[in-house]
Amino acid sequence: MGTTLPSEDVLVRMQRDLKRALQRDPKHVRWTMVIDQGKCTGCHACTLGCVAENKLPPGVVYRPVIEEEVGRYPAVRRRFLPRPCMHCQNPPCTKVCPVTATYANAQGVVVVDYNRCIGCRYCLVACPYSARTSDFGEWYTKETPDAPSVLLGRTAAAQSYEAHPSTEYGRRWPQRGTGSPIGNARKCHFCLHRLSAGMLPACVTTCTARATFFGDRNDPESLVYHLLGSPRVFVLKPELGTHPAVYYLK
Amino acid sequence: MQRTRFSLFVGLAVLGLIVGSWGMVQRLIHGLNPVAFGSYVPWGLWVAFYLLFLGLSAGAFLVTILAYVFDMERFHRLGRLSAYTVLIVLVCEVIFITLDLGRMSRIYRFLVTPNFNSLMTWMFVLFNAMLIVYALKTFFLIRGDLVAWSKDPQRKGRGFYRLLALGKSSYGPDDYGRDYRIVHGLSLISLPVGLLFYGTNGAFFAILMNRPLWNSALTPLLFIVAAVLSGGALIAFLTHVFLKDDELVTSLGRAVLYCLLVFLFLEALQFFVGYQANVLSVVAALNLIAFGDYWWTFWIFHLGLGSFIPLLILLFQKDSPGAVAWACALIVLTFLAVRFNFVIPDLAVYKLEGLEHTFYHPRLRTHYTPNVNEWLVSVWVISLGLLIFLLGSRWLPVINSDQRGGMKHAH
Ligand code: SF4
Ligand code: SF4
Repeated sequence: MGTTLPSEDVLVRMQRDLKRALQRDPKHVRWTMVIDQGKCTGCHACTLGCVAENKLPPGVVYRPVIEEEVGRYPAVRRRFLPRPCMHCQNPPCTKVCPVTATYANAQGVVVVDYNRCIGCRYCLVACPYSARTSDFGEWYTKETPDAPSVLLGRTAAAQSYEAHPSTEYGRRWPQRGTGSPIGNARKCHFCLHRLSAGMLPACVTTCTARATFFGDRNDPESLVYHLLGSPRVFVLKPELGTHPAVYYLK
Repeated sequence: MQRTRFSLFVGLAVLGLIVGSWGMVQRLIHGLNPVAFGSYVPWGLWVAFYLLFLGLSAGAFLVTILAYVFDMERFHRLGRLSAYTVLIVLVCEVIFITLDLGRMSRIYRFLVTPNFNSLMTWMFVLFNAMLIVYALKTFFLIRGDLVAWSKDPQRKGRGFYRLLALGKSSYGPDDYGRDYRIVHGLSLISLPVGLLFYGTNGAFFAILMNRPLWNSALTPLLFIVAAVLSGGALIAFLTHVFLKDDELVTSLGRAVLYCLLVFLFLEALQFFVGYQANVLSVVAALNLIAFGDYWWTFWIFHLGLGSFIPLLILLFQKDSPGAVAWACALIVLTFLAVRFNFVIPDLAVYKLEGLEHTFYHPRLRTHYTPNVNEWLVSVWVISLGLLIFLLGSRWLPVINSDQRGGMKHAH
């Protein structure tokens, strides 16, 4: 039994990797995600973990899980492809932004400055992975009737979830009203706010199958460094030369 | 333009402003929430209108170049009308594109933190350059008449004309000569600026590597031809309505005919190469244009009403200015279909297979139909442009001045 089961949960290892990375000179850290398609069960927990963590409104999604059906009946299988932002090392999205509102930070994470973005959506059009969505100011409780009781009405429902400020990029974004990030381009940011607090990205910790790995690919001791040596590694649309920092294992 | 026809159009413009204001109010209060486009088709009707107006300005731009750079006498009559048209159309363009921004109050960001690697920044720079050049050009073209009108005892609003003439009270041959040289100089500047502007707008789409229909060297060329075609058609129509110069209308008609043929040829090439190369995403986008939900915009509006009928008229009625003008009007009116079919299909093909089967939300669909709000806002902007144009045509010396002073070359 001891030979077939891992001696520790990969989350524990990645947590150690993360601690080490946070002690390194930030200039040398390169955040990387590896997603094992062989393990992903298509449970969508990462999608929802991300939605809850970042308080994403309707129509905004950072990490959908694409479901594919391969083969022909009766030899049919399903394959799942979680698709966060690839954090391209040669990102087409940042080049087109007219106001430098989106850029790769020192650790290679492509971020959006919500207070600078004018909402032109050129980056949405330029991203080959459809990884960006625009916040159109939707509300989950939009059509919900506001009952007279404060306990049951829309306002109360909204306050318990929707009006809760998100903490993306380490800031407390105000309650949803008309301010940013409404009108902005939004995308996965590797949960930078969690990383800085010593926590793994929400999708990594919520992954029920332990199929998503995260760490510093410049650290030879890290799990992601080892995984990247696998012959199963591939990236999406390599022909475009975007050099994603999100890798997949076949 | 006759008084009744003028009043009719002003009435229409005012009605458009009133009706469209509902959409504008929604847009200003609720931002982009009341629009139908989403994250997979992030640009919609307003971008199509932006491109339509972009093209419309190009014809007028060309006329001013022919008139004042190449000094072609016959286009002098059209000079000021064209310069004024460019100005109005540019204003409509900027309103459309500003309304399309998710956070339009941050438009100043173009000045504060520009990214000169982005073609959108260059569009902004070139757009403003065009606006300034054409505002100055219009001013120097009409200054002589403004001075004359400010002194005309029979004219109402003399103070207004004096203000517009920046207080100038006399206008002699020396002034005329100097203003003409300025207009010539501005036209020389506007030639490279304009060409870069129209080319950049095509390149804006062409550089996007994951957009198979756009990502082609043909795109900027197609843009320039489309612009000259729709803009030339507009100018031919306006010449007929405002200047009644039959000879000019028919010769413009011939130029429009050639442009139409070249445009259709380029479009046919795009389809031919696309289907022959058989790249999945290209074929999907082309199929959307030809056989998708909006097939009728392509076959009926663009090819039928906007190409085939004008082609017949321009071939067989080429000497009838009225027929030529209406053929040109048909081209202009149906050109939105061309722009729409340029913007939407490439966006409407999922870039990752299977994305459509996950995480359902109307903003995450590739199906896009402009909604009432988008149309209302468009009606508002177009009505505003029409109203300014009509009022200018009546109260400013941009069409025929009354020959009392002013620049003779512009008459
Ligand atoms: S996946 Fe898209 S949004 Fe993310 S870095 Fe690459 S191009 Fe930009
Ligand atoms: S939507 Fe925002 S981040 Fe994207 S290109 Fe426009 S300004 Fe830049």
